[in-house]
Amino acid sequence: MTQDTALMAHLLRRAGFGATKDELEQYVAKGYEATVEELIHPELAPQLDEDVIRRYHVDQNSLMLIESCQAYWMYRMINTKRPLEEKVALFWHGLFATAYGKLNHAKAVVNQTNTFRRQGLGSFANLLRELSRDPAMIFWLDNKDNHKDAPNENFGRELLELFSMGIGTYTEEDVKSCAKAFTGWTIQNADYMSIRASRDSIWPSGRIDWQFVYLPEDHDDSEKQFLGHTGRFNGDDIIDIITQHPASSWFIAGQLYKFFVSDNPNEAATQFLAEEYRKSKGDIRSVMRSLFLSDFFRSEEARFARVKSPAELVAGTARLAGGRQFPEWSIVMLSNDANFMGQEILNPPTVEGWHTGQEWVDTGTLVERVNSATLEIGDITKPGVQAIIANIRDKGPIVSPKTLVEACLEELGCLSVSEGTFNSLESHAKTEGDLEFHDLACAEGRIVEMLQLILSTREYQMA
Amino acid sequence: MTTKTAFSYSHTIGFLSNRYKGFQNPVDVAMDSQGLLYVINRVGPELTVRIPYKRITICTVDEEYLGEISTGGMNDGQMWWPSALAFDSDDKLYVADEALNRISIFTKDGEFLSQWGTPGSGPGQLDRPSGIAFDSSDNLLVTDSLNHRVQKFNRNGSFIGAWGEMGDGPGQFNMPWGITIDKSGDVYVADWRNDRIQKLDSNGKFIAQWGSSGEGEGQFNRPAAVAVDDYGNMYVADWGNERVQILDRQGQVLDILRGDSVDSTWADDYFQANPNEGAARLAADLEPVIDVPQELLRETSANVEKLFWGPTAVKLDDQGRVYIVDSCRHRLQIYRKS
Repeated sequence: MTQDTALMAHLLRRAGFGATKDELEQYVAKGYEATVEELIHPELAPQLDEDVIRRYHVDQNSLMLIESCQAYWMYRMINTKRPLEEKVALFWHGLFATAYGKLNHAKAVVNQTNTFRRQGLGSFANLLRELSRDPAMIFWLDNKDNHKDAPNENFGRELLELFSMGIGTYTEEDVKSCAKAFTGWTIQNADYMSIRASRDSIWPSGRIDWQFVYLPEDHDDSEKQFLGHTGRFNGDDIIDIITQHPASSWFIAGQLYKFFVSDNPNEAATQFLAEEYRKSKGDIRSVMRSLFLSDFFRSEEARFARVKSPAELVAGTARLAGGRQFPEWSIVMLSNDANFMGQEILNPPTVEGWHTGQEWVDTGTLVERVNSATLEIGDITKPGVQAIIANIRDKGPIVSPKTLVEACLEELGCLSVSEGTFNSLESHAKTEGDLEFHDLACAEGRIVEMLQLILSTREYQMA
Repeated sequence: MTTKTAFSYSHTIGFLSNRYKGFQNPVDVAMDSQGLLYVINRVGPELTVRIPYKRITICTVDEEYLGEISTGGMNDGQMWWPSALAFDSDDKLYVADEALNRISIFTKDGEFLSQWGTPGSGPGQLDRPSGIAFDSSDNLLVTDSLNHRVQKFNRNGSFIGAWGEMGDGPGQFNMPWGITIDKSGDVYVADWRNDRIQKLDSNGKFIAQWGSSGEGEGQFNRPAAVAVDDYGNMYVADWGNERVQILDRQGQVLDILRGDSVDSTWADDYFQANPNEGAARLAADLEPVIDVPQELLRETSANVEKLFWGPTAVKLDDQGRVYIVDSCRHRLQIYRKS
């Protein structure tokens, strides 16, 4: 494994959901900088063929049920030609955590993630503008109940605390002004839609999409004090002030660092990203470019410094194993696996999103993680597994135990393991001696077993 | 378009329901010799709790619920991805299954009789059978979607012949879906990914084609189904354009239907039992102006309840009715010739 390949594997684990050895070779041939540029411009890559998804999964056409929506997103993560688009959507979904559980409207959350796909690498201010008009967010944080004569501060407070600046950077008076600025931003047919949501009513003909509506008669147009500014601010004015505030640059820089670089905070790196945010006037694509090209991202310390989220683990393993490139009914089993591991995509536990890092792993979820990954890679009929076997077979009719371990690690996306882990894997391989392809079934079985062992290691749980 | 009023909305049959009086993600309808309607409820995803909801609902055009047959599963007489159904001349019901790659046969009362079909790409094998139709000799024509061909079998599943291969030339197919046969025995295929309808003779010889990719009149976006009346008029479920286009035998557009649904009597029953929700519904504007990109017609359908959303099948009866299966809205919309 070359250093270039190892670095590229690192990039693809973070900017996507991992890559096969063949894919990595193609990326390495393009070069690191060119690959970064390609990744941060997903719009130049082809879109997924949605028509076949919706034809064969009629439930993923109507997107009424949460399980259907989760399966739909899992399929996208596995098959996308725009890996960063999906990864960024997952990032914003974790930050602006909006949950099906309160809304009883799964497609509304899918629609929000479509905003993240469309706007997630653009201007942060534009993203917040769309988010503040997003019906799922309006419903989630009660802005439909935020009236001129009876303000509801839920959205205004979380916008400042959880979405853009962080606690300690604003006052209670700022929260009140923020909430007032968003009065009158609601959804069409709010009464009927609220009744449907409260009763979980799908009748008579399934869910009806929600629409944003602005009611000027319910908007508080009075003068407001907000973060040192005075004016008759509306929501868009508030977002302009927020996104130009230094706290906003620090907040987004810290969140991006945590998601894309390391579970362990780094003040210097965060400062660098915050400066990139300010220089680019909040352009997320520019910040992402700087992040991926930075020394701290490329460093050895950053590699395998994050615990994979369940969605990353499941989608990444499925990409390696192959065979999920066309709609099959069993895709829902994979999204269900992520649920069992503690990440119900589209249904985060609270407005704070998921607790990440080592909190992804406990004794129960670790068993789920290992079982899911080893089951997927253990299917010898899958094309990705077949390709791995063929690549190892190309090494000759007899493969030593050490070479078998090295080759499997390389095939699994240039995975680096500790010396102790390597020795354990090699010891196991030695119990059956050299791998000999004259007994093909036996050789295939041993390779698959080694792949499963590697997917059971601590290192494979890390990104 | 020669006339915009060739067809008028009649009524809706349907109500979202996991069981009994209603449908869930219906994808096809067939009529037996008495005119009773048999509606496939495909349902998904395939999780333990939802699999039993897969079924075929029996009802009348006047919304009388009569029962349901079969259920989800992989055993004999069960369904996993049911896609299409058709009656033979003895009123036996044939059901295609895209996941199990087989045709299951039932009496009209739901008694399982037999099944045939094996997965694969060889002659007589199936890879996602999507549409079925009987010819006048009781041979079953099957659109074998991922093998990009039409296959003909006798009622026992004996292979008779196959036409077509992957491609966009005359007589070639790209993931064909719906199929029907006119009174002359000519065959019409919704050539789904080629955005066209093809007409072939009973031996599979190409006769004509209509349509091109697009949203204009006479253009299609992934047509799912086609029905043909005694005059040769074609009724096309223009699935990706969320509409039904009606074309004369030369391909001139007679009418375009976008959906006009009002609540069925089954829905009325629900709102009588839930008056607060019914009152709020009456007060709501269910036809709001929608700000979505024009190319995302399905998003408009997701917002405006009366419109078609995923029309997967069109069938005709001898009373001049047009039955449109509105898969994402869990209902049938019925139209009549004006």
